[in-house]
Amino acid sequence: MLDVRDLVAGYGDIPVLRGISLHAEPGEILLIGGENGAGKSTLMRAIAGFIKPSQGSVVLDGKPLTGLPPEKVARSGLRLVLDGHRVFPELTVYDNLRMGVAARPDDRADLARSLEEIYEVFPILKERSRARAYDLSGGQQQILALGQAFVARPRVLLCDEPSLGVAQALLPPILAFLRRWAESGTAIVIVDQHVKISLPYADRAMIVQRGQVLLECPAGELDRRLSTLHAARQNAHAER
Amino acid sequence: MLSEIAIIVVRGVAIGSLFAIIAMSFNIVHNATRILNFAQGNIFILGGFAAYFLADNAGFPTWLLMLVVTGLVMAVLVAMQGWLTLLPLRGNSAEQDSWMISTVSVSVIIAAILMLVYGPFAYSVGGVVPAFRIFGVKTPGAFLLAIAAMLGCYFLLSWFLRHSFTGLAISALSQDFDAARAAGLNVRGLQLLAFGISGLIAGSAGFMVAPMISVSPDAGLRYVLNGFIAAVIGGIGNNTGALIGGPLVGVMAMLMAYKVGGAYQDLASLIVLVVILMFWPQGLFGRATARRV
Amino acid sequence: MASQHDSLSEATGPQVSLPLGRGRFRSDGLQLRIGILLILLTGIGPSLLGNSYWEHTFQLVNILIAVAVLQNFLFVDAGQKSFGQGAILGLGAYGLAIASGIHGAPLTLGVLSAVGAAMLGGLLFALPALRVQGFHLGFATLSAAIVFPQLLIQFDDVTRGINGISLSVPALTKPLVWGLSGLTLLVTAVPIAALLLHYGIRTARLGRRMRVAAESAEAARALGVRPGAMRALAFMIVSAGTGLCGALYVPAVGFISPQAFIIELSFTLFFVVVVGGRGQLLGPIVGIWVIYIVPNVLLVQLVEYRLLIYGFLTLAVVIAFPDGLVGTVEMWRRKRFQRGGGEQGFRLAPFSETLEKVAPRPAPAAAAPPILEVRGAVKRFGQVVALDRVDLEVRPGEVHGLVGANGSGKTSLLNVISGFSRLDGGSYSFRGRDVTRLNATGIARMGLGRTFQTPRIFTDVSVWDNIQLGLDARPTPLDPEMARLAERFREVYGEDNPALLAHGQRRLLEVIRVVFADPALVLFDEPAAGLAPAERAEFSRLLRQISTRLGMSVILVEHDLDLVWDIADRITVLETGRVVASGPPQVLAQDPAVQHLFVGGAHA
Repeated sequence: MLDVRDLVAGYGDIPVLRGISLHAEPGEILLIGGENGAGKSTLMRAIAGFIKPSQGSVVLDGKPLTGLPPEKVARSGLRLVLDGHRVFPELTVYDNLRMGVAARPDDRADLARSLEEIYEVFPILKERSRARAYDLSGGQQQILALGQAFVARPRVLLCDEPSLGVAQALLPPILAFLRRWAESGTAIVIVDQHVKISLPYADRAMIVQRGQVLLECPAGELDRRLSTLHAARQNAHAER
Repeated sequence: MLSEIAIIVVRGVAIGSLFAIIAMSFNIVHNATRILNFAQGNIFILGGFAAYFLADNAGFPTWLLMLVVTGLVMAVLVAMQGWLTLLPLRGNSAEQDSWMISTVSVSVIIAAILMLVYGPFAYSVGGVVPAFRIFGVKTPGAFLLAIAAMLGCYFLLSWFLRHSFTGLAISALSQDFDAARAAGLNVRGLQLLAFGISGLIAGSAGFMVAPMISVSPDAGLRYVLNGFIAAVIGGIGNNTGALIGGPLVGVMAMLMAYKVGGAYQDLASLIVLVVILMFWPQGLFGRATARRV
Repeated sequence: MASQHDSLSEATGPQVSLPLGRGRFRSDGLQLRIGILLILLTGIGPSLLGNSYWEHTFQLVNILIAVAVLQNFLFVDAGQKSFGQGAILGLGAYGLAIASGIHGAPLTLGVLSAVGAAMLGGLLFALPALRVQGFHLGFATLSAAIVFPQLLIQFDDVTRGINGISLSVPALTKPLVWGLSGLTLLVTAVPIAALLLHYGIRTARLGRRMRVAAESAEAARALGVRPGAMRALAFMIVSAGTGLCGALYVPAVGFISPQAFIIELSFTLFFVVVVGGRGQLLGPIVGIWVIYIVPNVLLVQLVEYRLLIYGFLTLAVVIAFPDGLVGTVEMWRRKRFQRGGGEQGFRLAPFSETLEKVAPRPAPAAAAPPILEVRGAVKRFGQVVALDRVDLEVRPGEVHGLVGANGSGKTSLLNVISGFSRLDGGSYSFRGRDVTRLNATGIARMGLGRTFQTPRIFTDVSVWDNIQLGLDARPTPLDPEMARLAERFREVYGEDNPALLAHGQRRLLEVIRVVFADPALVLFDEPAAGLAPAERAEFSRLLRQISTRLGMSVILVEHDLDLVWDIADRITVLETGRVVASGPPQVLAQDPAVQHLFVGGAHA
């Protein structure tokens, strides 16, 4: 569904991504891990149109998205949830959710049904629907950001660091929600520095290092692959 | 004595309403784009010229029709100006302050055209609202209209920005630009709309209050400056602040005119501006939250 | 790490070699020479030919050029957007006219009064500039330019109002030699002096620091520069010069009235700078010729339309050629002849090799008091607690690693230590002095240096100039070896374009800059992000040398944990604003609290 090939992108003339390819299929969660500064956020932003890639392509269902501005990418069915639980702080919770419809201008009637569904999963959004978003905790804001994306009903959802600034206790319900969302036929890509927490919810995993794909494997194999890597590194240390 | 105070207050608040309206027209563009349109005062004066040529001493229906026409034409003009202003700002251009130059040049262009066409004269425009008496003082009807326009503008904008989908989207733009784009909001369209609305506000306000202002090619600068002062006092981007800042500046100006003579009004404005910028650069009322970058 | 040796030998191979490329990074020198030539030609040419019409025209034009040159400097080099320079010119002119024209004071006194009046006006502009920038300042100066002619009319007992003041100085207008009068010589000399001043400041320490203050107040403060002082100084210099131009304006015209200094003049001067090319030395000259001479002299029938023409011209330039006329040519030249960048764009090797030759500073006694001591630091952003009672101690000459996940408070801690944000609770001391309330500039001057996550590299000046900013901030003389190295850097990078540097190289450039400033403690914020493996190895070596050879203490925030574990003497681990572990790397590697930081959760 989402097909990203050989993406080279960065800030100014300086590449941060040096040829990354990935694909995501409906119904599955792809987890992307890697050290900070490896280029994970840059990758998300390049796919979503915030950074124009200098090479490579982004294709969604055969339709090229490369080089489109982010608002057009969002309207084409690919929705990025930025890191740091970004919501519109002075808007109410309800209005924040409502803004989700912006990504699908021809089909706004569906809002009520989407709201019902999201309220069911996260009743807190309904309870606080008239509160300003800045009054929510970080975790609640993350839920709100995801809720806004949910209302947009994208075919592909990119989530940049959904666990950042979110209390530990809130993570399982958020990740379980993403899991169910994926199973309803959406392709979901999660970027997370702490792969451990999100790994059980993912189908496939990918580790990015210095702007390139270090390894890619089914989620279940990640631990083993990583320990092999660490063992190699330990050997290198020992040699020294 | 009482009547003098009444004159100062009524006139001050009325003149200040104009500053508040210009401040609000600044705010909507600033919130959507971080741009302050230096030409806003000339747009306001253009509205005044429209009143002179289209509706001087006209009957109410003509006046109303021409008001709508003027407002719409100004909206389109300023939206076009916005389009030009935003052109060099596409992408990660390093020239992020080019808008200051382009809006100043548009302001000069409008003033120059008005000067060429109409000469350096001040035109007076007949009003549609009759004069009335406050505390026994005869007051032109336009004063009432100015205050009503300010309140109307404030409440309409508040409703628009807080309840309509498009207005909420403009608010969202000002609160988190990237998140707004990620959500699929049509950023450029909303920004142009904000420019258009600011033109609608300033242009139709100029039209409505033409009887109480001096409609002359060089008057635009004075209004843009005082509107800016009102906006700064209220905190740039904050309409409620402007609602208070405008009349405050107006009353101060009237008080100055009464105490030391009208010739020092602009000097007084300058001093107020410098003092405000030095001690309360965020305004007296500030902004609830800053936008994330 | 076997690869490290390879990369080191590779790095020590060729010394810094001159990259291929021609031409200079900036054409300032050339523009200066052309500018002087043009002013000389137009200034004394007409008098030599005996054409008095052009003589008078160019007298006025050259005065305006001098004012525009100063405005150009103010606008770009000092970053101050002033729309009111016409009023400053007017203050100068009236200063002289009132003193000498009305009260008959001697000319020297009149000129002094001109400069003084203009500087007072400049002070009025500089005051708000201490607090606000950008459009705020634009409006304040615009407002002053509107008020100025009104005041001239209002205070007519002092200024003679709309009647104006005439002042002729026969001694100045009388030809001295070859038809050249004193006035002609003066109005030729003053714009040349203005150009030389612009060029001179730009190439000096003062100019570099002004530009940093204009482009990044943060970077300036981290280098011990007070941005406010820089702005005020720029306004004072420009006002004094503009005042002098005002004094010349009076005898050149013979009569002044408020009409000469209306807002139109300020707008014209501003447009001249933009159309000519912001920041280009030659810009104001070309700008004046296009904006002023064409409609006023060549197309006299269009004089009515000139403001309209100015406005359209400026609008067109901003949209189509944002760099202005000279700037567009300069950009084209720079693109064509640029050099620098690539793999060799900027390398550490020569630096670390030189450090090898520097005598190590004596190791501080183990019992030496800590250079930095943070006690119970609390920092909140709204409801979020970024730092929660953090304690941190850095010893002299120590490399102290600071690690933790995103949002754990590392950058907040760096910002607090370097004085960019204030603590909500707790305190800290640096070099034995409590600096909890000290500002960033003050702390930087006490010997604290830092780099930024997004390197503060200034792309308008050469790579070498970027390094030189560090030397500018240095309180102590350079060691002879280091001075030789600096000289070599100047030769090699003097004309290199920093925009061509890769991200990692920019970081290294910033690292070299801060090391040249010789701080006692330096904070590195993710310096290794975006470095190639060989560069990483080289960087580790440099870090060790900084602490052993130069005796600096280092706080290293870095996500490459291998690198931190390799070189840090001690490591502090932050988690959601709290210190969860602190100690030497060998000990911490076993700490379960630290394990999960590593990808996959396991580490040697």
